[in-house]
Amino acid sequence: MSDLKTLSRPGTADQKVRAAARSGELIQKASVAIGCVALFLVFSLLTKTFYQPSNLIDIMLQSSINAVIAVGMTLVIMTKGIDLSVGSIVGLSSMVAAHLLAQGLLVGIGAALVVGLVCGAINGILIAKLKLPDFIVTLGTLSVYRGAALIYTDGQPIYGLSKEFRAIFAGHVLDVPTPVILALVVAALAFLLVRFTALGEQIIAVGGNEEAAKLSGVNIERVKITVYMVSGILSSLAGFVLIARIGAAEPIGGSGFELQAIGSAVIGGASLFGGIGNPLGSLIGALTLGGLQNGLTLMNIPSFWQYVASGVVVILAVFADQWTRKPR
Amino acid sequence: MSSATPGREDGIDRPPTLVMIGVVKAFAGVRALKGVDFSLRSGEVHALLGENGAGKSTLMKIMFGVVQPDEGQIALDFIGRVRIDGPRAALAMGIGLVSQELSLVPQLDVAQNIFLGQTRGLTIVPRDDFRQKARAILDDLAPHLKTETQVSALGMADRQLVEISRTLARGGRIIAFDEPTSSLTPAEQQNLFAVIRKLKAAGKAIVYISHRMNEIREIADRITVLRDGEVVASGPMGDYSESKLNELIAGRELSREMAADKPAPVESVPVLELRRVSTSRVQSIDLTVGAGEIVGLSGLVGSGRSAILRAIFGIDPVTEGDIVVGGAPMRARNPADAMAAGVALIPEDRRGHALVPMMDVEQNFGLGNYGRFGAMGVIKGGARRRAIRSYVEEMRIRPPLINTKMRNLSGGNQQKVVIARWLATGARVFLFDEPTRGIDVGAKAEIYTLLRRLAANGAALVVVSSELPELLLLCHRIAVVSGGRLQKVVPNTATLTEEHLMEFAAGKGEL
Repeated sequence: MSDLKTLSRPGTADQKVRAAARSGELIQKASVAIGCVALFLVFSLLTKTFYQPSNLIDIMLQSSINAVIAVGMTLVIMTKGIDLSVGSIVGLSSMVAAHLLAQGLLVGIGAALVVGLVCGAINGILIAKLKLPDFIVTLGTLSVYRGAALIYTDGQPIYGLSKEFRAIFAGHVLDVPTPVILALVVAALAFLLVRFTALGEQIIAVGGNEEAAKLSGVNIERVKITVYMVSGILSSLAGFVLIARIGAAEPIGGSGFELQAIGSAVIGGASLFGGIGNPLGSLIGALTLGGLQNGLTLMNIPSFWQYVASGVVVILAVFADQWTRKPR
Repeated sequence: MSSATPGREDGIDRPPTLVMIGVVKAFAGVRALKGVDFSLRSGEVHALLGENGAGKSTLMKIMFGVVQPDEGQIALDFIGRVRIDGPRAALAMGIGLVSQELSLVPQLDVAQNIFLGQTRGLTIVPRDDFRQKARAILDDLAPHLKTETQVSALGMADRQLVEISRTLARGGRIIAFDEPTSSLTPAEQQNLFAVIRKLKAAGKAIVYISHRMNEIREIADRITVLRDGEVVASGPMGDYSESKLNELIAGRELSREMAADKPAPVESVPVLELRRVSTSRVQSIDLTVGAGEIVGLSGLVGSGRSAILRAIFGIDPVTEGDIVVGGAPMRARNPADAMAAGVALIPEDRRGHALVPMMDVEQNFGLGNYGRFGAMGVIKGGARRRAIRSYVEEMRIRPPLINTKMRNLSGGNQQKVVIARWLATGARVFLFDEPTRGIDVGAKAEIYTLLRRLAANGAALVVVSSELPELLLLCHRIAVVSGGRLQKVVPNTATLTEEHLMEFAAGKGEL
């Protein structure tokens, strides 16, 4: 087979392209962190309290719920999907948890996780098996799951959560709030999943080129259903933090979380065109949005403006993403 | 090229590796395959020929498990009768497909793509092991490829090599190539052929699908011709002449339509003039095209051929020089300006750039013709229907119905609709980018006839094509582009050959 070696010429323009691709990738990865740091610096200059350690921990705490959901959302987006129902899953599963905690800690937690898993599985099966558009399916279940949460207690909130539960999901370990630890662990596990496991590779493959994945023998349906189930179960986890911090569960809890989560994933570098995303980036994305809201609050800017600011930052992130990806 | 001699050396006498018998497949009641027999031997390159829609792709999809046959049997020599119920099963049986739309994941690296789908679930991917194994395969096929390069950074030819490697990594014994050369340069094509010969020598069975007859002649040992879902011929390559094959494929005699004499040069008034035109991609292009003249642009992919068309059509901004259409300077800042000046561009990517698949023939014809067939924003349906009907008849568009959805037309007929649209705008300058890409041989002849008629009616044509025989057949003059410059403009005389053009493209050679 030696004559073949002489025939195939080394990639001529390849080197340049490759180098450009690599540096572009680096810029993108770095830009997520740089953007976050820059934002924090700006607020540190504008206010006296922003950079205080206690406030920084506050930001992390406030961002943790969104971060946990954003990690699941990132996996979904990496398969070129979208999950709009996460906020409703938060609401439904947290109602179930609050209700069943009376039967025991593990009963409440377990039942709520199952609810998240089933909600995700329904999304996944409708999308993967019945080939329905992800946007419509999860827009529909957004309404269905929210309705179920309202029906569950006829719209009434549930008060009085057990102490252990609140200690687990809104406590401290060595002065670090447990939600922050939870978010870090979830993001790290997801990062390892994407980076090192076959499933992670297949998530990239399904989003990057579904046809290629299929022809390579990847079970696309299973991969898709799996990411929606992960998204569902992480929404349940986020719901625990939500109700543990408030001390009560409301059927409307978690409304609007989908936008925050999608925003965090996109700021973190996930591409809605599929195949690209990084759970650790999404963690930083969540911190960026959290820091933004916190900073604006400290500057006494009315909360209505925070909606505007969050949206603008998300759109800017997409713009930056498009710009750095443009072949030049 | 071995001819049909006794004691054939091309493996014809060996028992087949794969046999398909009586394969029937219908889609929505339409029978795409009507009882096809196909057999494949190890160590042979078996060309599968036929027009688009003849059933080649369906047969390959069945072989690769993507679709299931309604009737018929498949047997492999080392297993016996098999049911191939999906790509995973096909891969496990050693059957691989190098598809037309390359199926790699751009975001993964070379080794990951080669071994994609071989591990599952939460198992840790044995990356180092995979890289080593990938290296071993690549050393034979493509030593210049690195296993950790992301596929998005690779060119078409290299991606193809990765696909071949992927099949080999699964112990592939049967490899099907579906139009593998459609986006390769001549050099890359030769490299691919060398790889295919290697695979053949290693005892692999190769299925080769292509519309390009000269490739078939060069690489195939045996051929099978499909027409309308049936096998109309199968046997050693040497038994069939090229014109015989063309006839079998099209089901009618084409030689006269295809091989008209080289066009006689025309002396006429210039319709399109480029005076030292530069854009970000091309430099100092000087070119004049007269009424009734067809000028070909030859060169490798990326040499700037298409960029010249984009400059004329107002897509790429002209930084220097002038473009003159019909004696008047044209300052086209966008395609709309160029259209108004009577310039038409028929792009290479029909699906992506020229038509809307879910709209019907009439609506696609009407795109860009709203001015002509509309009054105050209301479409004059009657006039538009009359116009498209006359084109459908004149250009032999099949099926001859103006309310057929565009996606249900063959490539050749889609191309005719696109051309009809431009004819209706009254364009005088026609820019064709790969006018017959992915179009089967029968429709090709019709497109050629159409281009000749456009020229005969006084239009100026510029044709970009990777297929040199096509340029030699059609053009009065051929301009060779490389590195964004016009290297040479030569009259297409009887002595001009493909070899000359290839040498010019490589920057050397004299007439």
